[in-house]
Amino acid sequence: MQQREEKQLEASVESLISRVAHLKNALHSFIYKLENEYELTWPSVLDNFALLSGQLNTINKLLRNEKTPSFRQQVIIPLLLSPDRDEDLAKLTEQRVPVFSHEIVPDHLRTKPDPEVEEQEKQLSAEAARIGPEVAQKQIQTLNKLCSNLLEKLSNPRDDRDADNAALRLNKQSFNPADTNALVAAVGFGKGLSKCRPPGPVAPGHPGQGNMMGGGPSLQQVTVGGGSGQLQGMGPGAPQQQPGKMPSNIKTNIKAASSMHPYNR
Amino acid sequence: MEAPPVSVMPVTGGTINMMEYLLQGSVLDQALESLLHRLRGLCDNMEPEMFADHELVYLLKGQQGNPFLLRARRSLSNPTAPWHLRYLGQPEVGDKSRHALVRNCVDVATSHSLPDFLNEMGFRMDHEFVAKGHIFRRGVLKVVVSKLSRVLVPGNTENTEPLSLSSLVELSVLAPAGQDTMSEEMRSFAEQLKPLVHLEKIDPKRHM
Repeated sequence: MQQREEKQLEASVESLISRVAHLKNALHSFIYKLENEYELTWPSVLDNFALLSGQLNTINKLLRNEKTPSFRQQVIIPLLLSPDRDEDLAKLTEQRVPVFSHEIVPDHLRTKPDPEVEEQEKQLSAEAARIGPEVAQKQIQTLNKLCSNLLEKLSNPRDDRDADNAALRLNKQSFNPADTNALVAAVGFGKGLSKCRPPGPVAPGHPGQGNMMGGGPSLQQVTVGGGSGQLQGMGPGAPQQQPGKMPSNIKTNIKAASSMHPYNR
Repeated sequence: MEAPPVSVMPVTGGTINMMEYLLQGSVLDQALESLLHRLRGLCDNMEPEMFADHELVYLLKGQQGNPFLLRARRSLSNPTAPWHLRYLGQPEVGDKSRHALVRNCVDVATSHSLPDFLNEMGFRMDHEFVAKGHIFRRGVLKVVVSKLSRVLVPGNTENTEPLSLSSLVELSVLAPAGQDTMSEEMRSFAEQLKPLVHLEKIDPKRHM
C-alpha cells in the first residue's frame, strides 16, 4: 500500500514538474517578447495570456486528479543547509538557486501564502462570517442571475438585438421609403419631371410666378429657329394663365416648333 | 487539369458588353452629414469629390411600343468637360436571389454638340434634372449621393427646385457580362450602411 502511494506520489510530482516547466517556458518567452518587441499587437499579447491560462488550467486539473495524492499531507524537511555553492543545484535550477542556505529555505519551502495574501484572506473570511448565511445566499443568487443574463445576451444572435434597437430608433429614422421610390422613379423614367408635371410637395406658387417672365424670352429664342410667326403671339399671352398650366404650355410650343423638321421623322 | 467552364461570352469584336449592377436608396437631408462621414470612413481614402451635373433624357419614339431612351449628361462644375452619353437597357430578369439590379450599360463621351446631334437624329428631350452631390469609390464599387433638382425652365439650370427632402444614394459597379460575384460584394457593403440607408434593388417598372 505504501509503495503504491509512493509510486503515485512520484508519478504525480514528475508530471507536475513537467507542466510547471512548460509554464515557465511560456512565461519566459512572453517576457522576452514584451521586452524586445516594439510593435506588439494586443491580439498577440492576448494569445500569450490565453496560453498561460491554458497551462495553469492543466496544472489545476492535474492537482485535482483523483490519482494525485494529497500533497498537503507531505512534509518537506531540509536535511542539510550549507552556505557553500552547490554546483548540481545551480545547474538544476539554471543558476537561480546556487546556494541551499538559510536565506532561501523560508522562501522556497514555504507552504503558507505570503503575509499580505494571508492578511487579505483573513479579512475576507471575517467579512464572510459577519454577513450571515441568508445574506450570503442571496448574494450568490444575484450573482448567478446576472451571469446567466449576460451569457444569454451574448449567445443570442445579433439579429434579435438589432430588431429591438430598430423599434427604439423609429423616431430617428434617417431615410424615407416614399422618398426613395419617388427619387428612383424620377431618375428612372422622369416621373415628376416631364411635361405633365404633377404638383410637387412644395406648391410652386411664388417660384412659378417668377418664372413667367423668364418663360417668355426663352420661348422666343426657340421659335426663332422654328420660324412660325403665330407662336410668338402665344408668348405674351401665356403668363395670364394659371401657374400650374404654364410649363406644359411652353413645352407644347417647343414641340410644335420642332415638328416642322426637314427630315420629317 | 480541366479547362474552366466558359461562363463569359467570347469577345468577338467591338466593345465588351458591360453590365451595371445597381442598388439604390435614399437618405433624408438631416442624416446626410452622418452618411457622408460614414462613407468617408468606409470608402477609399481620397479627397471627397463633389459634382454638379445636368442630365437630359432623350426619347426616340419608334413605330413599336417602347421608346428608346438615351441619357446625356454634362458637368455644371466643369463646363469644358465632354458630355457623357449613356444607354441603359432593361433590367435583367435573372434569378430572384441576385441582390442587385443588373442591366446592360453603354457609355461614351461626346462633344458639346450632342443635344443638337440627338435632335437631328430625331430624339426628343423628355425630361431633364440637375444632380448635385458627392461621389465615393471603394475598389470597383462606386457610391453616389446626389440631391436631385427639377429644372423649372427648360435649359435654365440656375433656376432649380429640389425634387424631395432626401438625397438619392446609389451603389453601382460596372462589370463585364458574366461576372456574378459583384452582387455579394455590393450586398455586404450595403449592410455596412444600415441603418442609415437601406440600399436595395428597386425595379423602376414597379413605380410606373
